[in-house]
Amino acid sequence: MINIEIDGKLVETEQGSTVMDAAHKAGVYIPHFCYHKKLSISANCRMCLVEVEKAPKPLPACATPAAEGMKVHTHSELAVKAQKGVMEFLLINHPLDCPICDQGGECELQDIAMGYGGGESRYAEEKRVVNPKQIGELISTNEMSRCIQCTRCVRFGQEIAGIMELGMANRTEHAQIMSFVNSSVDSELSGNMIDLCPVGALTSKPFRYTARSWELSRRKSVSPHDGLGSNLALHVKDNKVARVVPVENEAVNECWISDKDRFSYEGLNSPERLTRPMIKQDGKWVEVDWAPALEYVANGLRQIAGSAGAEHIAALATPHSTFEELYLLQKLLRGIGSGNVDYRLRQSDFSADGKQAGAPWLGMPVADINAADRFLVIGSFLRKDHPLLAQRIRQAVKQGAQANIVHAADDDLLMPVANKSIVAPDEMLNTLAQVLKALAAEKQAAVPAEIAAVTVGDAAIAIAKNLASGQQVAVLLGNFAQQHPQAAQIALLAEQIAALCAGRYGYLGEAANSVGAYLAGAVPFAGDVQGMNAAQMLAEPRKAYLLLNVEPELDMHNPQQAMSAMRAADMVVVMSAYKHHAMDYADVLLPVAPFSETSGTFVNTEGRAQSFKGAVKPLAEARPAWKVLRVLGNLLDVSGFDYDTSEAVRAEGLHTLSLDDKLGNRISGVAINIATESNGAGLQRVSDVPIYSADALVRRAASLQKTHDAAVPCVMLNGSQMQKLGVESGDAVKVSQGDASVQLTVQKNDSLPQGAVRVAAGHPATAALGAMFGIMSVERA
Amino acid sequence: MEKIKEFFKTFLLFELLKGMALTGRYMFARKITVQFPEEKTPQSFRFRGLHAQRRYANGEERCIGCKLCEAVCPALAIKIEVAEREDGTRRTTQYDIDLTKCIFCGFCEESCPVDAIVETRIFEYHGESRGDLYYTKPMLLAVGDKHETQIAKDRAADSKYR
Repeated sequence: MINIEIDGKLVETEQGSTVMDAAHKAGVYIPHFCYHKKLSISANCRMCLVEVEKAPKPLPACATPAAEGMKVHTHSELAVKAQKGVMEFLLINHPLDCPICDQGGECELQDIAMGYGGGESRYAEEKRVVNPKQIGELISTNEMSRCIQCTRCVRFGQEIAGIMELGMANRTEHAQIMSFVNSSVDSELSGNMIDLCPVGALTSKPFRYTARSWELSRRKSVSPHDGLGSNLALHVKDNKVARVVPVENEAVNECWISDKDRFSYEGLNSPERLTRPMIKQDGKWVEVDWAPALEYVANGLRQIAGSAGAEHIAALATPHSTFEELYLLQKLLRGIGSGNVDYRLRQSDFSADGKQAGAPWLGMPVADINAADRFLVIGSFLRKDHPLLAQRIRQAVKQGAQANIVHAADDDLLMPVANKSIVAPDEMLNTLAQVLKALAAEKQAAVPAEIAAVTVGDAAIAIAKNLASGQQVAVLLGNFAQQHPQAAQIALLAEQIAALCAGRYGYLGEAANSVGAYLAGAVPFAGDVQGMNAAQMLAEPRKAYLLLNVEPELDMHNPQQAMSAMRAADMVVVMSAYKHHAMDYADVLLPVAPFSETSGTFVNTEGRAQSFKGAVKPLAEARPAWKVLRVLGNLLDVSGFDYDTSEAVRAEGLHTLSLDDKLGNRISGVAINIATESNGAGLQRVSDVPIYSADALVRRAASLQKTHDAAVPCVMLNGSQMQKLGVESGDAVKVSQGDASVQLTVQKNDSLPQGAVRVAAGHPATAALGAMFGIMSVERA
Repeated sequence: MEKIKEFFKTFLLFELLKGMALTGRYMFARKITVQFPEEKTPQSFRFRGLHAQRRYANGEERCIGCKLCEAVCPALAIKIEVAEREDGTRRTTQYDIDLTKCIFCGFCEESCPVDAIVETRIFEYHGESRGDLYYTKPMLLAVGDKHETQIAKDRAADSKYR
């Protein structure tokens, strides 16, 4: 600790910290543009010049290390003169277009010019003009002349997003921020550059000119997308969400949010929104009031329960629904005598059901990821599935941690990866067994008998050696590993691997409320009435389905099977915010409110329950799903459905439990069995869920749908496979799975393992295909 | 002495004569009553009457939809919606002034960075119903188009004081 004096205030600050840090501690504000606490120091804006006693010239506070006994003056004559001078220089080329600038009213340059600038400009010459460039559908660079070259966006790309997509070309007055020739900014975190830009040079394209900052009211919410549960501020104008920005929460999302969190709000205002309850009568859709619609649902369910038995009623919900909704859904189903309720729509292995110690979770607090020094990431499209968790791992790797990957695809993680083993889906388990065996040898521990026979390869030894040398090991199971047909076995091996190196293991939660859904009991094995899991409900079609926010053609592990089950059902009740494919097979459509229009709770992947309130009123006749379920409960005479608020539901569902002892990944009572059934000749499907197809909301976010990540998925094959088939990149091919086939273009991807074909799931172009894992054949179309 | 004076004044109708003298003076003095609407009083170039939206000489509307007037309006009489026009410029899609709310303070004119919204010398506008006093963008532009010469002259006259 060193002592330093700032404007007469004595502060103690850490060795190696800067004058800016010390000033921050002392509560003294020093104006700045290029400095940002999460980015490296570049000291190029010069706005933070301060006077340091015994220094001949003013020094930049952000880049001057604090030293013992230093005396700093931020408001002395010299400092003020320097700040005024810098401000004048910065304003030389800055256009005076604040009235039409989207940043106007929340602009750092505007604020600081008010506080530190002169009243008039002495500059009468021509101002610099920078031509606008196209850098994609999310960030507008139409007014690059506003740029003050702070390079925050450049540093963000390099340091946080992991890829330098924007750079500064040329020198002095010709310096410009630009992307590489004709390329766009495609990072899944790119929207943060808009927040970082202290002026209006990088602005949000979807938001462009829709509102001024002072017209917006700011309401806190929680991201309904990935498992992280980023804290959001919804900016509301005229009862519409006009934009979304992050709320800083160091333990969850730091000060970032992913583009999915930021731009998905467009889906809230989509023209596809369902506005009134609808009933299908004689093959035609009729808009009705809530009362007859709910009456119709209650009667239908009562009839089916009476004639076929309650076990013929099934409910599927997405884990993007709130805790309250899921809790009431399962309570309703169990109340009428059916245990068929599940949220694990894309899961295919249910052998660990009821044998896990608690809700599958991350196994550690999110913030601990930064402290880990060895990672083993199993089966995860990390960047696309968990943009901000990937960012945390990237930061850890930067601090010296090493990442190891076992996966079926080799996507660029934009960070150095120490070792990777890219294998076909059916070899993943074997590969993990190899790692475990090698690790046991490394640690001189006993090798479990079940895996003693595996032959250990070089890649596995490298991974094991790497893990063995770590102090803080984190083994993380991605979405792909959770959806894998041997998910339970993968988890068992992961547990053993983590145990051998005294590390922790856990699941990267697929959705905002994956943990919450489990805690709410929206699983067939919870509670007193047990039933069928998601796969069984479709394999043995039920007579009635209640779908909560589910789009079966896109959200299910096997969309083909799901659709035929829906079509065969006597009654399908769809609770959805959107009109969608359900118009074909549903009998009732109930408009429910998305996350911005309802109060609720999401329990994120680290088991953090975050409640939020509705930011805007539900659109037209839409109603929060918990209210709909409550009334359904009353109509069906299920007891205990007299809630007045969602908080009462939450209190009943969450209050009695302390979350910590309800979380648990340990699986007991399942024997290790690494045998893999050989499922015939053909190519094994490797399927990811594209980042902007993952849930109903992002699918309707217009701008996200125009990005490269939302392009129609290609079939990816490795080069030798393509040669065998005689096709080239860009050719149309027919992909068949079982008796279903679709036509897609083919793309070469040499990092795919032999015998694998990558075909995305969750996208309308591939919705006709079968399960996410399985055998496919590809032929020239 | 004073008391005696008062006493005589009360029955000699002194006050009445004094009042009649004033009446008589005005009877023969020069008349100042204006015969509205045939005659009108002179106006300052800063007169704050009916609002108008101005255009540039090339016919382009001045307003850029910055919404400063909406923000500054103490009576909340202004309502603006903005969108990007096909040529990429920021333009209003809606610009309404509710003249029944307006208090003619002139803040809108003062806040406007492009002199788009102005208050003209017109004060004898009317409407047959309340709704007629809800001025929309085309109406405001029409006022501006009709009176642009006068508006420009008034701004020029005021410019040296601004």
